[in-house]
Amino acid sequence: MRVTFFLSLLFLALTAGCSDAPQEESVLQQDYASLEKAARGTEVRWHMWGGSAQINQWVDTYVAGEMKRLYDINVVRVPMDAPVFVNKLLTEKAANKNTGTMDLLWINGENFKNSMQAGVLFGPFTDRLPNFAAWYDPQKAAHDFGYPVDGFEAPYGRAQFVFEFDTARTATPPADMAELAEWIKANPGRFTYPQPPDFTGSAFLRQIFYATTGGHEQYMDGINPELYAKNAPQTFAWLSDIKPYLWQEGRTYPKDAAALDTLFARGEIDMGMSYHPAHAQMKILEKTYPDTVRTFVLAEGAIFNTHFTAIPFNAPNKAGAMVLANFLMSPEAQLSKFRPENWGDLHALEVQKLDVAQREAFDAVDLGEATLDAGTLSAVAVPEIPSEYLELLERDWDKFILGH
Amino acid sequence: MRHNVILGLAPLLLPYCALFCAGLTLTLAQSMGLFLPLGPGEATLEYYQALTRDQGLGLSLRLSLFVAFFSAAGSVLGGTVLALALWRMPPGLRRVGVVSKIGLILPHVAVAFLVLLMLSQTGLVSSALFQLGLISTPEEFPNILHTGSGLGMILAFLLKGVPFALLLIGAVLFGFDIRLIQTARMLGAGPLRTFWSVTLPRLLPAMHSAFIILFLYAFGSFDIPFVLGESHPGMLSIRVFDIFFHRDLSQRPQAMAILTVMFVFAAVFAMLYNRFAAYMDAWRRKL
Repeated sequence: MRVTFFLSLLFLALTAGCSDAPQEESVLQQDYASLEKAARGTEVRWHMWGGSAQINQWVDTYVAGEMKRLYDINVVRVPMDAPVFVNKLLTEKAANKNTGTMDLLWINGENFKNSMQAGVLFGPFTDRLPNFAAWYDPQKAAHDFGYPVDGFEAPYGRAQFVFEFDTARTATPPADMAELAEWIKANPGRFTYPQPPDFTGSAFLRQIFYATTGGHEQYMDGINPELYAKNAPQTFAWLSDIKPYLWQEGRTYPKDAAALDTLFARGEIDMGMSYHPAHAQMKILEKTYPDTVRTFVLAEGAIFNTHFTAIPFNAPNKAGAMVLANFLMSPEAQLSKFRPENWGDLHALEVQKLDVAQREAFDAVDLGEATLDAGTLSAVAVPEIPSEYLELLERDWDKFILGH
Repeated sequence: MRHNVILGLAPLLLPYCALFCAGLTLTLAQSMGLFLPLGPGEATLEYYQALTRDQGLGLSLRLSLFVAFFSAAGSVLGGTVLALALWRMPPGLRRVGVVSKIGLILPHVAVAFLVLLMLSQTGLVSSALFQLGLISTPEEFPNILHTGSGLGMILAFLLKGVPFALLLIGAVLFGFDIRLIQTARMLGAGPLRTFWSVTLPRLLPAMHSAFIILFLYAFGSFDIPFVLGESHPGMLSIRVFDIFFHRDLSQRPQAMAILTVMFVFAAVFAMLYNRFAAYMDAWRRKL
C-alpha cells in the first residue's frame, strides 16, 4: 500500500508539466512588417548574463526605452548565466514544455553548441531580419567557435582578447610571447590567469595554443585529433615552464575573471586580462583601476569572437524576440553600444556598408585612453577555435597543469 | 489508522517527494546514462567506472573529508568549551553569549567573504599590520588562504559551526539539573571525574548530532568552497559544478555519478556514525 502510494507520487512528480499542447509555428512564414505588427504591445523577456552593472543599465534604459518608443514592446531583462538558461531549456525540452518563459537569449560558444545539439533553439530566423541583410557580412557570422550558425543566431557584438597592465608599475609591456615569458620569469608571483574552464582563462589558453603551435589557420577546418596530439605538448610545455613563476607559484588560480580583476586592482599581480577591449577603461571610469592602467596585445595575435542572440524553441513571444534581435543589429543600437560610456562593446556590423554620416559617427567614438584603437586590434585579430579543440585543451589543462 | 497518518502527513510528504525524491531519481538515472538531453540513452555503469580511474577525484574526496572532519570536530570542541565556560558564568554575565548569535545569523557565503577580506595577503589584517609597521611588505603576511590544505575553508566553517554547536550543546547544558553535580561532588568526585562521569555523558548526544550535521554540511557544501577553495585539489562540490555547468554536455553523467556517490556516502556515514556513537555509549556505561 505504502509503496504504491510513494511510487504514484513519484510518477506524478516526474510527469508534472508534460501536458502543454504543441503550438503552431507560423512566425517563420510571415514577413518582417507583419511580425512587427504582431509584436506590438507585447513583452519580450531577454535572458542575459547580468554580471556588469553598466551593460545592465544600457539594456534597461536605452534598449528598453527605444523598443517601447519604436515598437511599443516592453523589454524585460532577466539576469541569468548562459549555462543556467541552457540547462533550463534542456529540462523544459525533456518535460515537453512547449511554452517557456524566455524569449531571447544572449549566447555563444559552447552554450550555443550544446543548445544546437540538443535542439532547443528556434530557427533559422536571421534571414527574416532586414538589418542582418542590410549591414552584416553573413560569412563573418557563419560560425560560432567553429560551429555552424545556420541562421539560428543573430550577431550583435564582438569582443577581443587584451592584456591589461599599469604604467605606474610596468613601464613597457611585453610585445610578443617570448617577452611575455621573460617578463613572467623576471617578476615572479606577479602574473596569473583565471582557471579554465572560466571563459577568460580558457581564452588565454587558446591564445597560448595558437602562439606556441604556429598560428590559427591549421585549426579552422574542424577537429583533427592527430594535429592536436602533435601540437598540444608545446602549449603545455610553455605553460609548465612559467608555472613556478605565477601567483602562488601556480598552485592555485583565480576562479574567474572577476577574481583576477580583484587581484590586479589590489596590486597582488601586475597584469590582468579581459575578453573585452574596453574593460580596463570601464574599470577606470568605475574607479576600480587607477588611471594609469593601459591595455596591450601580443604580436602573435589576439582572439576575437562574435556574440549573438538566439531564440528558444519554446519562446512564448517569438515575433517580439525577432524584432528585438533585429533592433540590436541596427546601426543606431550598435553605435550606442559602441560608446564606452554605454558599454564599449565592438560593433558586429560592417562599417563600410553604412552611409557616410553613420560611418563618421562610428569613427568619432572615443574608446578612452586605456582602450587600443580599432586599427591595432584588427591588425592582430585571429578567429576563435572550433569548440572541440577547446574541450580538449581544457581537459588537458586540468591534467597537465593542475595535475588532476 | 496508518492510512490516516499518511493522509495527515501528505501536505509535507507531497512537496518532499516531488522535489527531493524526483531530483534524486533523476540524478541516479542520468548518472547511468538515462534521460539525458544527448546520448544513446542506454543504461550503463561506465561513468562510475570512469570515476574510479580518475585520480584527481580521489584527491578531491580526501580534501572534502579532511575539511569536513576538521571543521566539524573543531566546531564541536570549540562549541563545547564555550558552552561550558558560559555555563560556569554568573547568570547575569551569560547574556554575553548573545554575541555568538552573530555567527548564526550571517549566511555561509558572507562568512566566506569575511574570511577572504580579512585574511588574504592583501586583506584587512595584512594591511593593518603593514600600516603599523609590523611587517615590511604584504607578502610577509602568512599565506593562510593558499596552503593547499583547505585551511581558509576550515576557518570559515568554524566561524559558522562553533556558534551552532554552542547553541545545541548549550541548550542541553542550561537545562541540566545542577543537583546531579552537587551529589557527585558530595560523594567525593573531583572536578575531572564529575565532568567525565556526569556532565559529559549528558552532553554527548548533542555533540554527536552537532558533529554529524556539521560534517555532512561541510562535506557537500558549495558556497564556502566556491569563495575560498583552491584550484587543486578542488572540493567535490566544485568539481560537480564545473562539470555540470562548464563542460560539454556529454560529461554530465559524470557529474551525476559524483553526486550519487556523495549522497550514498552521506547516508552510509550518518548510519555508521550513529552505530558508532551507540557502541561508544554502551562501552562507556560498562566502564
